Amino acid sequence: MPVKVAQRSPAASPAVAQTLRPPFQPLPYLLLLPSLALIFIIEFYPFINGVSFSFHKGTLLGTGAFVGLGNYLRLFNSPTFYNSLWFSFIFAFFNVLVSYVLGLALALFLNLDFPGRGFCRVALLVPWIVPAVVSIVSWKWLIADRGGLVNIILDSFGVGPIYFLSQSGWAMVAVIVIKIWRSFPFMMLSLLAALQVIDKSLYEAGRIDGATNWQLFRHITLPHIKNISIIQAILMIIWSINDFETPFLLTQGGPSSATENLILLSYRYTFGRNDVGLGSAVAILTLIILLVLSTIMMRQQGKST
Amino acid sequence: MIKPNRKWLLLLVGLVIVFIVDFPIITVILNSFRTTETIVSSHSILPTEPTLANYLFINTRTHFWTFLLNSIIVAFASSALAIVLSALAGFAMSRYRARILGGYNQALLIVQMFPLILAIIPLFIFFRNLNLVNNFIPVIMVYTVTQLPFATWMLRSYFDNIPRELDEAATMDGCSPLRAFLQIILPLTVPGIMAVAIFSFLFSYNEFFISSVFLRDENRMTMPVGIQSFMQQYSTDWGSLMASATLGMVPTLILFFFIQKYMVAGATAGAVKG
Repeated sequence: MPVKVAQRSPAASPAVAQTLRPPFQPLPYLLLLPSLALIFIIEFYPFINGVSFSFHKGTLLGTGAFVGLGNYLRLFNSPTFYNSLWFSFIFAFFNVLVSYVLGLALALFLNLDFPGRGFCRVALLVPWIVPAVVSIVSWKWLIADRGGLVNIILDSFGVGPIYFLSQSGWAMVAVIVIKIWRSFPFMMLSLLAALQVIDKSLYEAGRIDGATNWQLFRHITLPHIKNISIIQAILMIIWSINDFETPFLLTQGGPSSATENLILLSYRYTFGRNDVGLGSAVAILTLIILLVLSTIMMRQQGKST
Repeated sequence: MIKPNRKWLLLLVGLVIVFIVDFPIITVILNSFRTTETIVSSHSILPTEPTLANYLFINTRTHFWTFLLNSIIVAFASSALAIVLSALAGFAMSRYRARILGGYNQALLIVQMFPLILAIIPLFIFFRNLNLVNNFIPVIMVYTVTQLPFATWMLRSYFDNIPRELDEAATMDGCSPLRAFLQIILPLTVPGIMAVAIFSFLFSYNEFFISSVFLRDENRMTMPVGIQSFMQQYSTDWGSLMASATLGMVPTLILFFFIQKYMVAGATAGAVKG
């Protein structure tokens, strides 16, 4: 395999490589070796095992008989699986949608020039940076049935109480709202970074031509943040589907599986019901969904560069 | 130009938004200084009779300090390991062109999206057979791998900013490429590397899922797992829960303060560098 020191000008490099034919350099391979070894042990080897588990009956103590696609067929005939698939989908959908709208609004706000905006930017990142378990302790009290702040306020208006964590609909709302609260700062931060590199003179030129604020936003701001928006949105969908902490810490997937996403389902099958085959099959299906989403993301990155 | 009055109005709006967004965190801190009875019965959120009772309780009656120490050990080890591995890989990606490097970049993208539950099931069985459940080693290894994509892309971009002529000149003078990297490029990128190290420390310190699978013994639990076990034991003892949550986020907030100016670059690393 030809290896050569990177050239400054990519256009000239293929010709240079052909004429010089540099000797094989082992160094780049050696530099990657430790990382590759660890990725192999921690993700690749378990992945191969996981594929095999998903075709077998099995418990945490040992693998049982080969069942072919049996585990997958059981999932496709189980309402629990479709329930988790559905919850994963709406969880990701609302999280990315609301986080994007909130994140964009706040990024536009922080992009204005006013004293103390540095402080505001840092303070708005706090929900994203604190440990999930700390946020959940806090929110669990806010929405608690007895003595929780939200229900105390509702009570003073003569409404409620709302049992947020024991009614399916409200539990879903609570999990999604808390996830949005935890993830919009990241969206805000990346959109702010994109806004800050837009050339200010474009807006001045637009104003001279008599463009309205909406037209400036529509024709200058939006095209400049389009690529980062699409990429961050897909990244956030992937992270939402992979989220274990928010639903697990808040509701453990309940009440009656209303907030059980695919990751929690796989966890419950494996560690709760000791059914490693079924748990692995859920995990493999999740991987397939994520791979499809990532492929779309990589296509998009290819287009944008 | 924005008129002076409008500037102060914007600041006011900003502070109101900050108050609303950070309200849950503010209540955790305020409630940690109130007894559970006052938290549940009082209609004010301000501690009218501040007390340290909750802190005394978690200091004397729980393993909180063990949890904190365990978290620091695990986060420190995994961020150190992640930095070493991603500095080597980032250097290769910044200075060389080979087919394997493109492949490695794709591998990092897959690592970034990989559903960890899929790895955790076989790894749990694997490490239990090695008698390494309730041991920090599996947790540190998994954390390191999850940090690799972000850390490698960030470090690579720092190395890319160091002019190639510097290490080429050193190589010309008879220095090996690896020595040129260690003695010339690395010292020039120390501030960036520190920021990435703190980022990766924070991710590991905050992480709950992997620790909860591998660290089940009370003497081995990390801080998030420990607080979750409090949630199950003392589910309505809000005072103690709030005090442990407040103490648990102190290291996070301090480290966050040091690296917040690097945050913008960090937030876009995964998207732009991939």
